[in-house]
Amino acid sequence: MASSSRVVTKIAAIFSKSRSDNEDYFTEVEGVGRIPRDIYKHVTSNPFGDLPRYSPHIVTQHFIIFVTFLILAATGVPIYFSDLFWAHYVIGLFGGIDLARQIHRIAAMVMMAASAYHLVTVIGGTISKLIKKEFDIKRTQIPRVKDLFDLIHDFRYFLGLEPYRPKMEKFMYKQKLHYLAILYGSFVLMAAGSALVFPDSLAKLFSETIGKVWPQAMGSESVSTFFQDLARLMHADEAVMALIVLAFWHWTNVHFVPGRFPVQWTFLTGRITREHQIEEHFLEYIRNLKEIPAEREYMRNLLQQIESESLQQEG
Amino acid sequence: MPKAACRFLVTLWGFICLFLICAPSVSFCADIGNCLLCHKYPGLSRVDENGKLRLLYINEAIFNTSMHAKVKCEGCHPDIQKIPHDPAKKVDCLIQCHIVEPSSEQKFSHKDVAEFLKKSVHSPLDADGKPKPFPEDFPDCKKCHDNPLYRPMSFNKMMLPGISVTALGRCRVCHKKDDFIYQFYNHVTTRLRRSRNPKNIAESCARCHDNPILMKRHNLSTKAVYSYGESFHGKAATFLDERIPDCLDCHVNPGESVHQMLGYKNPQSAVSAQNKGRICANAECHPSATPKMAEYKVHAEFNLNQSPVRYYFTVFFIALTGGTLLPLMGIIFLDCLRRLFPNTVLIQRKKKHE
Ligand code: HEC
Ligand code: HEC
Ligand code: HEC
Ligand code: HEC
Ligand code: HEC
Repeated sequence: MASSSRVVTKIAAIFSKSRSDNEDYFTEVEGVGRIPRDIYKHVTSNPFGDLPRYSPHIVTQHFIIFVTFLILAATGVPIYFSDLFWAHYVIGLFGGIDLARQIHRIAAMVMMAASAYHLVTVIGGTISKLIKKEFDIKRTQIPRVKDLFDLIHDFRYFLGLEPYRPKMEKFMYKQKLHYLAILYGSFVLMAAGSALVFPDSLAKLFSETIGKVWPQAMGSESVSTFFQDLARLMHADEAVMALIVLAFWHWTNVHFVPGRFPVQWTFLTGRITREHQIEEHFLEYIRNLKEIPAEREYMRNLLQQIESESLQQEG
Repeated sequence: MPKAACRFLVTLWGFICLFLICAPSVSFCADIGNCLLCHKYPGLSRVDENGKLRLLYINEAIFNTSMHAKVKCEGCHPDIQKIPHDPAKKVDCLIQCHIVEPSSEQKFSHKDVAEFLKKSVHSPLDADGKPKPFPEDFPDCKKCHDNPLYRPMSFNKMMLPGISVTALGRCRVCHKKDDFIYQFYNHVTTRLRRSRNPKNIAESCARCHDNPILMKRHNLSTKAVYSYGESFHGKAATFLDERIPDCLDCHVNPGESVHQMLGYKNPQSAVSAQNKGRICANAECHPSATPKMAEYKVHAEFNLNQSPVRYYFTVFFIALTGGTLLPLMGIIFLDCLRRLFPNTVLIQRKKKHE
């Protein structure tokens, strides 16, 4: 109860606030100065990225998963929509249905390997940070209540009700949403896909486990039949959904929105531009300032320069 | 051009051809084998009593690579005795044609097939010989068959469609007539597989089995060809894969004629509850399959009638897709707008208020 009423007051606070005050606008960083929230409009950026964001492990995993995903989509979608006129041409490109199916399976295995690699890096990295006492939940993909407020704040900003974007962590609400969706989606796709590749094993698995304990679970039909049908539905539905989200949400967000078009190089370099970091990951930028002396140097100079310019104008 | 005028012109042209070509040849009317003298002309056609245009053209090259190439026209059209002739009667597929079957040296006919068909689920008569309801819905030979082409195979180095020149050369060592060799090469190798690919077989059943009226009349629970097409077997069939099972691989008991299909409730049917495990576990398909696997639905439609659980599950997924996508698209849209017009303020008055 207590926490939910806190949430309510906080939401109310956000909606009643029409303009951020000075304290929100400037962020004091020791040894650098007072950083205005919209400083990103004045910084210079290297298009290939200025600040570290992803380790080479993550970049490799993302690359493998991204390539295999496209292959899986290209071989899978025409099978699902086999009655469309273009399906034959696409399958023909892959050397016919027999070959296309094999390619689909191989790509799936590579993707699963990359996903396992990802889990190992993320879990291993977390453990090592815990041991070194460097772990900070704010820098992870784990959702927090703040993300909800950031979403509302951002929404108000888009509508012109807030002057500045929220100060967000290394992973903003969009990214957390997407990451969780991918965790769920790839689990579903892999589980359902395996059920389709090994229909007989699935039949044995369910009839010897749930089927034994609870034979009447699905009425007259067997549990494995039910799950096989479910797998057929989920594999296709989930894949189509993933494809749409990828094309219209992920790519748009990352590459196509004005200012980032035509491509953002982070996925290859693992580095993020200064401008983007300050705009969407302000709090992470503040940490960057503390951790990277060169960045501190840059920002200090920039602030001084702006100050002297404005003094000149006034004078 | 209006259809009627079109028909008229075509017919006129047909008659002119008929006149020009057939009139002088009336004197050969005894030469019955010479039907192609007229029927080889592509425009040959007439408009029948129902106003339908009938094309009477026979493409000789195609006919000669068809299974019935050796049957003379009058073998199937016995009512045609002279030229010119009256409109032909309907062909009876069970007629005895002049072909002799070499192993029994008897005149050949397809009567045996009719016997098989009589005992199958497709017979219009029930076990006591009384007509089933709606006997007109049941297929006769011509509802399922056209005149199929030979689909020879060559087994020289690889299994490929077509005639192996190497194999022909081997026949030539002992047999002298090329026509004979060619004919029997086609005859035998075509029978090693189906004369149609799985997709075409499904299409030939679809005219009835995807017909909702017929389904309802005969208490069939699925649009069989549609649901087959939704399964992975059927999808592979649309891409012309021939290794996957077609309707006959599942519904015909191994070694029996395809005309002996039975309803799945009949214990002797290949897809009856007792037998279908064996069909899946066929050495060429899923050799390690347990009978459990045969419980999977082949003809699953995921509709409300067949399976409400699956139906609502599908609906849920569509809702989930829409429900996540629309808000996401909304955010993106606003984000883009803001980036394009960074300084626009929605509610101007509020600003002045401050
Ligand atoms: C295997 C048996 C068979 C043979 C051999 C055969 N036909 Fe036919 N023919 C049919 C069938 C079946 C039809 C379809 C109409 C029907 O059901 O009677 C047909 C229809 C036709 C029609 C169209 C009739 C109409 O009114 O639409 C023509 C013309 C025709 N055949 C000509 C020939 C000629 C010429 C030859 C010899 C080259 C030939 N047929 C050999 C079985 C045969
Ligand atoms: C339900 C549809 C159906 C009906 C009705 C039907 N057939 Fe068939 N028939 C088939 C199919 C399917 C095949 C296998 C075709 C293939 O190999 O491509 C076949 C094959 C044949 C074959 C080749 C031998 C074999 O078994 O592969 C002959 C001959 C034949 N049919 C004759 C007839 C005759 C004569 C009739 C009428 C009494 C008839 N059929 C009725 C569907 C039918
Ligand atoms: C080694 C020699 C030889 C070769 C090679 C050979 N045949 Fe024959 N074939 C024969 C002989 C001898 C007969 C007669 C056998 C009998 O009546 O018992 C025969 C009979 C036949 C018959 C039955 C004819 C009838 O009316 O009884 C057919 C059809 C036939 N061969 C087709 C072929 C084809 C097609 C090939 C090539 C793929 C081929 N043969 C290769 C020697 C051969
Ligand atoms: C992989 C095997 C398989 C294939 C391929 C297959 N079927 Fe079936 N079919 C079955 C089984 C098994 C049943 C029994 C009903 C059940 O278990 O759902 C069945 C049932 C049917 C029924 C009766 C449905 C009812 O509930 O009244 C029809 C009609 C039918 N099949 C037609 C076809 C046709 C037409 C094709 C080809 C397009 C085809 N089948 C392909 C396995 C198959
Ligand atoms: C001219 C229409 C027609 C065509 C073509 C046709 N069928 Fe049928 N079929 C029927 C009818 C009508 C029934 C219902 C028989 C009954 O239940 O009394 C039936 C029943 C069946 C059944 C049994 C369904 C059950 O109750 O289990 C199977 C299997 C089947 N057909 C397969 C095929 C296949 C395979 C083909 C294509 C090669 C085919 N049919 C082509 C009309 C047709």
